[in-house]
Amino acid sequence: MFNRISSILLIIFLVAGTVSIGIAAGKAGGNARKGKYLYRKNCRECHKEGASAKDLSPADKTQAEWETLFAKGAHKSYQCAAEWDKRSEKDLKDIFSYMYDHAFDSPSPAKCK
Amino acid sequence: MMSGIVKRPISRRNFLKLSGAATAGAVVGSRSGILHALVPKSSVAKQGRIDKRFSICDMCFNKCGLIARVDEHGVVTKLDPNPKFRKSRGMLCARGNAGIKQLYDPDRLKYPLLRKGERGQGKWQRLTWEQALDLAAEKMQRIAETYTRCGMLFMAGSDLQSTFVHHFAEVFGSYNVISHESNCLLSRNRAFLDTFGEVPFADLLNCKYVIMAGANRFEALVTPDSIDIVTAMQNGCKLVVLDPRYTKTAALAHEWHSIRPGTDMAFFLAIAHVLVSETLYNKAFITEKTSGFDKLAEHIKPYTPEWAEKECEIPSKDIRRIAREMAKAAPAAIVYPGRRSSDYKNSTQIRRSFAIVNALLGNWDKKGGLTVAGKVGLSSPELPEAPFYEDNPEERVDAGRAKMMFDEEGSFKHTRDAVIEGKPYPIKGWFTYKTNPMQTGANREKTVEMIRKLDFMVTVDIAMSDTAWMADLVLPAPSYLERKDPISALQGVSAGACVITRDPVVPAMFDSKPVNWIVSELAKRLDLGEFFDFTMDSYRKAQVKNLPDAMKAINKDGVYYNKSKLYGRYEGKVFKTLSKKIELFSQRYEQTGLDPIPVYTPPKSVPEGRFRIVVGRNAYITQGSSTNNELLAELVPENRLWLHPDPALKLGIRQGDTVEVASTVGKERLKVRITEEIRKDTVYMDSGFGAMSKGLSNVYGKGACIAAVLEDHSDDISGNMAMHETMVAVRKI
Repeated sequence: MFNRISSILLIIFLVAGTVSIGIAAGKAGGNARKGKYLYRKNCRECHKEGASAKDLSPADKTQAEWETLFAKGAHKSYQCAAEWDKRSEKDLKDIFSYMYDHAFDSPSPAKCK
Repeated sequence: MMSGIVKRPISRRNFLKLSGAATAGAVVGSRSGILHALVPKSSVAKQGRIDKRFSICDMCFNKCGLIARVDEHGVVTKLDPNPKFRKSRGMLCARGNAGIKQLYDPDRLKYPLLRKGERGQGKWQRLTWEQALDLAAEKMQRIAETYTRCGMLFMAGSDLQSTFVHHFAEVFGSYNVISHESNCLLSRNRAFLDTFGEVPFADLLNCKYVIMAGANRFEALVTPDSIDIVTAMQNGCKLVVLDPRYTKTAALAHEWHSIRPGTDMAFFLAIAHVLVSETLYNKAFITEKTSGFDKLAEHIKPYTPEWAEKECEIPSKDIRRIAREMAKAAPAAIVYPGRRSSDYKNSTQIRRSFAIVNALLGNWDKKGGLTVAGKVGLSSPELPEAPFYEDNPEERVDAGRAKMMFDEEGSFKHTRDAVIEGKPYPIKGWFTYKTNPMQTGANREKTVEMIRKLDFMVTVDIAMSDTAWMADLVLPAPSYLERKDPISALQGVSAGACVITRDPVVPAMFDSKPVNWIVSELAKRLDLGEFFDFTMDSYRKAQVKNLPDAMKAINKDGVYYNKSKLYGRYEGKVFKTLSKKIELFSQRYEQTGLDPIPVYTPPKSVPEGRFRIVVGRNAYITQGSSTNNELLAELVPENRLWLHPDPALKLGIRQGDTVEVASTVGKERLKVRITEEIRKDTVYMDSGFGAMSKGLSNVYGKGACIAAVLEDHSDDISGNMAMHETMVAVRKI
């Protein structure tokens, strides 16, 4: 039983750890500028007005929402799961940083130009 | 549409003058040309056809609609307001009228110039555009190869074509893009964004009670605000002004208090104290729409009006009365957010106190209160994705120096420091467009020092500003009356949001070229031509793809309005804050280690025998666009130092004497204006004078440059320049 509790606790810590990326300093820790480039190159193709997926820009979601969407393993249920799998860990961190840093309720919300 | 013709009995002298005017009508820019307006209708017909062409004024940032009168020789003879332009309430101010003298200024930059000799010597060699662009591209390429793309700094002013400069900077690959905004309004934006999730506008037209702290709307014109407040006052609105200076706004207000500079926060925390302790706030609004009220109520307990009186020198009974009057007028009561908030090291927190009082008044998104930007419906043309340069540093050069800088705006002060230090990495190139940091950046000597660190500086401007004077390469741009611009949205508060653009009223003079052409030519030379593969027409077409009626309206009326409601835009919406509500207590500030509710710190006291210098302007000469204007220079040929009679007497200074104003960073000389309209511990001079460029023959050497005297402090949170922290000594010369 002790083993079971400690492994549950371990899972909770791991999940909490992953979800709490970047709350500390308000920045998500990746390269947001590279993330902007990667997002536009890979995701924007579909995630734009008139294309196959929902038009998405960083300011469309809150920081908390982006954290949930980018939590480890969360993408498996997305339609574009295959696209996510193609990206490296670093790439995903960078893309997340871009979305998080310019989210709806961020200190520098993306301007809908 | 023959507006502007004045019918009056004509004296013999006037008749002779006017006849002279009729025959001399074709003389470019002569004063008699303006008398056309007084000539009776039949005489105007004899002078030949007058074409009326729309444009948008560029003499300041307001962008008022105008109608230019062009005679049969293709000469612009008069600039009139556009009566259909609601944001300006159909008005064109003195500067707008004087725009003719920007167009027809003999001092205008005419062709590309390359510096010969030392910076500031004023020795130039004329180049062809081919030579100038080849040189600029080569220099930028060299900087990119040696220092990465981020080795180039870009600074573009408030202009309809600046978007192309930003696009160029993005495809070139530099993150180091700044603007004048960090010398102006960023701390206001920071404070209101962090409270309300959005930067609001003030619906002055329908307001019943306005406090303007520092803002000088009857001289520092903002449309429609400056005009609307007058209308509102005619309709019973009360205007209270807090200003250490008896400005024209103070003079016309119902109440003026000569507040001790730097104590606005004390005043507004005390107002909040009264509103809370006397339960004068709207309970339902506070419960539904705000978060942190309990913490605020606790926090402001010690900030009583009696305490505030000692700090701001405004009687406590007045503070109480004003709070009660505001509450009675609420929600049509506003603490005016103001605009320039580049004053103190804690400007953002000061403006947070403004925002908090507004929140307590429950005026958000209501008629006569704070309103939000309206939807316009312009689209962003789809351009090819900018490349990513792997060798670039990870961040902007000014990152990390302010606690919560706006990522896309940066900070001029911090960038300048970084360039001088060469840390965290070197910046060796500077591209400026329609911005004049030599005049607007506090501590001018530091700007000079920064420029000396550069390998290459290129400035695009209409006139040889002080900044152009210091550059390596100066490129002549046309004035607004000669340009074809992209389409742009303009927020107009209760006038509604609109869509504007410019088409040339007259062809570009001399060898001037618009900046969109300049950057696209540079792009071609840098193998970035694919990112500028569009024309202005195709760009515009893409912009209005969802607004089929826009171009027709613009061609017919000079402006397009999209119907959208003015109030109640937040119905059913959440606020863009962490709590999704208006944050009286800022969660983000708490997380970042900043005071979540403003904590008062007194300003530096003024040392004995010295003065605090404060910044402001007159209504005629305000920015680079209105400098060196022959007509406006007649109205205000120079600035003077405002000094109270009591310290003047002690210093042996008499009216009109020349004085030296000195701070730790510079000294300037100018004439004195002894007046009781300024506090004994404070001095003032208009900004925008004391030009050092000999290319500005109307104003060179006249008056003093306040930037040469101002020390460069900055707001902790936003990195906004803090220009009211400088103490000066004044002595007679």
